[in-house]
Amino acid sequence: MADTMVPAEEPEAPTNRPPAMHRLREWLQRRYVRHILIITVVVGFLLLPLAWLMLAAMNQSGGPASSIMEDIQQTIFVFTLVSIPITAFVFAVLLYSLFGWKGKSGDVPPNNDNPAIRTNAVAVITWTVSSSLLAAFLVVWGLIELADITADSYGSTSATGQPKTEDALVVNVTGQQWVWTFEYPQYDKVATDILYLPKDRPVLFNVTSVDVIHNFWAVELGIKIDANPGAITQTGVTPNKEGTFNVRCAELCGLHHAYMETKIDVMPAETFESFMRESGAGRTR
Amino acid sequence: MSAATIHQVQVPQPKQHGKPGGIMRHLNFFTGLVSGVVLALVFGYVMSLQFPAGALTANFANAAAGPVFWAMMVGWVVGFMGGMGAFVGPIRWLLGRDLTHADAEFMAGKDQGKFRYWRFTTDHKVVGIQYLIVAMIILGFGGLLAMLIRTELGITWMEVFNPDFYNSLVGTHGIAMIIAMIVVVSGPVGNFIVPLMCGARDMAFPRLNALSIWLLVCAVPPLILSLLVGGIRDGWSVYQPLNAQAGPGMIGYQTTIIVFAVSTALASVNIMTTVLTMRAKGMTWSRTPILIYGAFAAAAMGLYAFPFYMYSQILSMTDRLVNTSFFNPIEGGSVWLYQNLFWLLGHPEVYVILIPSIAVMMEIIPVFMRKPLFSYYMAIAGIVGVVGLSGLVWAHHMYMTGWAPQANYPFMLSTEMISIPVGFLVLVVIGTMWRGAFWSRLPMMAVFAVIFNKMIGGVTGVYLSDVPADQYFHGNMFVTAHFHYMLMGAGLFGAMGGIAYYFPKMTGRYLDERTGSIGFWTAFAGFQITFMSMFVAGLQGQPRRVLQFDNMFDISNWISTIGAYVIGIGMLIFLAAIMSSWRSGQAAPSNPWQAQTLDWQTATPVPLENFPVLPVVTKLPYDYGVPDPLAPKKLEEQYDEKVGAPS
Amino acid sequence: MKRFLVALVSVLVGAGVVAGVAVFASATKGETPLLVAEPAGTVDTPEGPVNAANLELYVYPNSSDAVPGPTQGVNALYASQGWPFYWPSTTLQVPANSLVTVTIYQYDSGGRVFNPFWAKVHGTVDGTMTVNGKTVTEVDPTKVAHTFTVHQYPESGQPYLFVSVPLPDLGSNQVGNANPYSDTPKEVTFTFRTGEPGTYVWNCEFPCGDQYQEFGGPMQQRGWMSGTLEVV
Repeated sequence: MADTMVPAEEPEAPTNRPPAMHRLREWLQRRYVRHILIITVVVGFLLLPLAWLMLAAMNQSGGPASSIMEDIQQTIFVFTLVSIPITAFVFAVLLYSLFGWKGKSGDVPPNNDNPAIRTNAVAVITWTVSSSLLAAFLVVWGLIELADITADSYGSTSATGQPKTEDALVVNVTGQQWVWTFEYPQYDKVATDILYLPKDRPVLFNVTSVDVIHNFWAVELGIKIDANPGAITQTGVTPNKEGTFNVRCAELCGLHHAYMETKIDVMPAETFESFMRESGAGRTR
Repeated sequence: MSAATIHQVQVPQPKQHGKPGGIMRHLNFFTGLVSGVVLALVFGYVMSLQFPAGALTANFANAAAGPVFWAMMVGWVVGFMGGMGAFVGPIRWLLGRDLTHADAEFMAGKDQGKFRYWRFTTDHKVVGIQYLIVAMIILGFGGLLAMLIRTELGITWMEVFNPDFYNSLVGTHGIAMIIAMIVVVSGPVGNFIVPLMCGARDMAFPRLNALSIWLLVCAVPPLILSLLVGGIRDGWSVYQPLNAQAGPGMIGYQTTIIVFAVSTALASVNIMTTVLTMRAKGMTWSRTPILIYGAFAAAAMGLYAFPFYMYSQILSMTDRLVNTSFFNPIEGGSVWLYQNLFWLLGHPEVYVILIPSIAVMMEIIPVFMRKPLFSYYMAIAGIVGVVGLSGLVWAHHMYMTGWAPQANYPFMLSTEMISIPVGFLVLVVIGTMWRGAFWSRLPMMAVFAVIFNKMIGGVTGVYLSDVPADQYFHGNMFVTAHFHYMLMGAGLFGAMGGIAYYFPKMTGRYLDERTGSIGFWTAFAGFQITFMSMFVAGLQGQPRRVLQFDNMFDISNWISTIGAYVIGIGMLIFLAAIMSSWRSGQAAPSNPWQAQTLDWQTATPVPLENFPVLPVVTKLPYDYGVPDPLAPKKLEEQYDEKVGAPS
Repeated sequence: MKRFLVALVSVLVGAGVVAGVAVFASATKGETPLLVAEPAGTVDTPEGPVNAANLELYVYPNSSDAVPGPTQGVNALYASQGWPFYWPSTTLQVPANSLVTVTIYQYDSGGRVFNPFWAKVHGTVDGTMTVNGKTVTEVDPTKVAHTFTVHQYPESGQPYLFVSVPLPDLGSNQVGNANPYSDTPKEVTFTFRTGEPGTYVWNCEFPCGDQYQEFGGPMQQRGWMSGTLEVV
């Protein structure tokens, strides 16, 4: 990151090398170091609102509507916060190079006396260690969150393909060019084109496709899984907010890919029960 | 024992028949074009004779369409390459009339003036220029498609194009840009500059070099033609089985990829062999310029990545034409197999694009900062690290496919590890900038633009590498914006800086600073507008590759479209700067930037065999700047200063 | 100065090329001519009188001299004689807040739909349709020729509209691929209620195209088995 400095005082005794803290203080007192650090802080604070703005943009259509989506947003929030300092520092160096150290134009190289810094062990080690720690933090955070949302989606029995709890609602999702259909095997195999879900009840989705690959993306519920022909993929969620949300196809699937959307209607559990009984009794919507 | 005698064996030299060059004198791009078209038509006609008029397959497809288009593609490739003279060398060797020295010199373009650019010329400088022109043409074509895409997306209230044509636009734009970006740095810089920088007289395999560029030229027309017969409507990744529903245009795509993969493999082998065996005397691995490392790394990645791609397309083609079912899930094939093969290419390919671009930046920075490259070994470590990890991360494109949910954990780990070697490269750049006043010319300004874009692309990549966040961003406009920041923001803007830097060596003239800068910064500004608002659209939840969307995305798409037009204007200005400077720019001396690498130490225009005397290297070519007054001194020196040095 | 002129010219040329290609591609996009539903007075409903309109469509199994079929778009170069298509147009326009009665004459053979969902009638008035005068709510899923499925356009500002009716098939011996078409097509009639103005797309959900899962060819190109439905 920087070169270190040995002050000129007391050079007589070769053994009297100033301690590291002293050298760091000396280094921090240099004008450009101070300026870069100040710019870093300023840029960092300017970038800081992004952490909230990103979530605001994500919630524009009414989310988050499940704990999975909350976890996702938390991850995005934390990652934004973590990446701001390093981004701000690099931007600060770019800015200071442009406006602090300045450039000179001309047809021949300006005959300037830039220092020939070949390398700097302290900077290299600091950078490597800090970027490795950062990466390690991201990995650990990601692994924990992934385990968390996997547990939320599949439950502890994902291997068997059975719902985690007895009262989980099972929905068979079929993607096909270019409409989603939803079948409720526990409710007399009612089939609908809109996804009706009860609030606060775990839902297990068995997702498949009859033709090409689609991607079942329940936007505000934060779940996304490919619908593959000849295979069933599973995911699950517990909606915790009533309202109308979106299902979009997130994998190019041909002519009407853009139109392969439908609504999610999350309603109270009792309304859902009566609605399903009504639909199951006779006609299918 | 008698003294050993050295027997001088007379190697029989092939006899010269007629003028040097023989039949090659009459073969060029235009004969290739004619014979390609003729042979394509002949092959297509012969194939169509096999089908009665109106013949249908079992499920009502026009039975002749696919095989006829395939035969035309074969005819085009064989005819074009034959008409170019690609087969003359091997055929003459088979006939026992191998090329003579004079023939080889003719093929190297000796005394042919400008027309050598239209021929199967083996000189690496000619090939480099050809790569540059071809890459710019493909970029222009892809850019045109990009403008059409943004037009459709900006006009939110109606379908401007047929949805199926729109899908074709997206797919063709994608693959055209990928091809262009792969060659736009590796081609001109890898072929023109790397041998010069190595201090070599030419590439290791000059004829393969010519073959690789003309195979690239050969690969492009099928891509464009396929738009007429159904198009590539499945995105550039042409996932199976959607691929299997497309019209015969998909055969054009497959032909393009197969030919292009061969071209890339040849170019990779060539660059790698050149770097390994033809570096100047004294250019040890610790004195080799970083660009050579970058070109070598890109070639190495291309060499193992592209066969997967070619393989996947060959299997797709047999699925289509002879009813195999590698990828047909109804008949027992696997769609995940295709995705694995594809992304085994897909991720290394991103670094095939990025690494040369970043390496060019790292050549530029020391020259324009007048400082040594900071921490040269970190730069090497960064490149090696990226190459090493690039092959282990492909399944992060498949987090949401359900292929192997348990594999998401290790792939997330390896993907996030990539940020460490990439971080090394950033450190090298900002370390070189540290405490230096730069020489403010276009190549240097491009570095600032590239680092800015690369930071944004890198940081947004961290979200995508993380499975929970990717659960929102996969297949979302956020991804589109992210990889445009990487491939265009870092790759293409880096290439523009690289062109500006090497322009004096390639053409003998400076790239006009004013128009060039205006174009560059206009494009840069438009780029930020376009893709920043595309990030917003992605965060709001707009899926990729849709031509109509909810009106909540309207505003971000309008802004994006305006930005895209600004990019278009900027790029055209930059193109105009290139064209006018090439014709009548300010003449440049042979080493205008006063750089120390070998490529600048030879005359401009570069003579046929580059160096009159092969150079010898004694140091790393980054000796700029003066000893640092602030650097920590050795204790003895301090002592000497204070007490007085022993006289 | 000359360089700026070159730049200006190249920008203008570039803009011209983009605009030219866009206009050309848009003009030749291959949408069939607009088919407007015929107004048919008003109908009394429990909620009061409502405008009514009629729409008549034909589904043919292949093109012939009598019915040339769609020829638009890039697929025209490899389009097959054997592709089925809706006729006379796939670009439909119906009035808003009305009862639209659609009559489809179906001349094609068929088979099994992938998803029995499409053998049922969805979204029409009473959830029914008539086949040759007989009122039904579903047909045999193994005897479907095509479907007429209107579905959502991704626009939250317009009302949701989902209408899907199966079109029962003719036995394959009744069809033949030559002129003339069968004299006894299946006549399917259904009525649906439109809301506020909006734009929708519709397509066939029966695998009647070519290539993989019979969803290529005519299924992947506007003008044959899919189109737009505009409510104005």
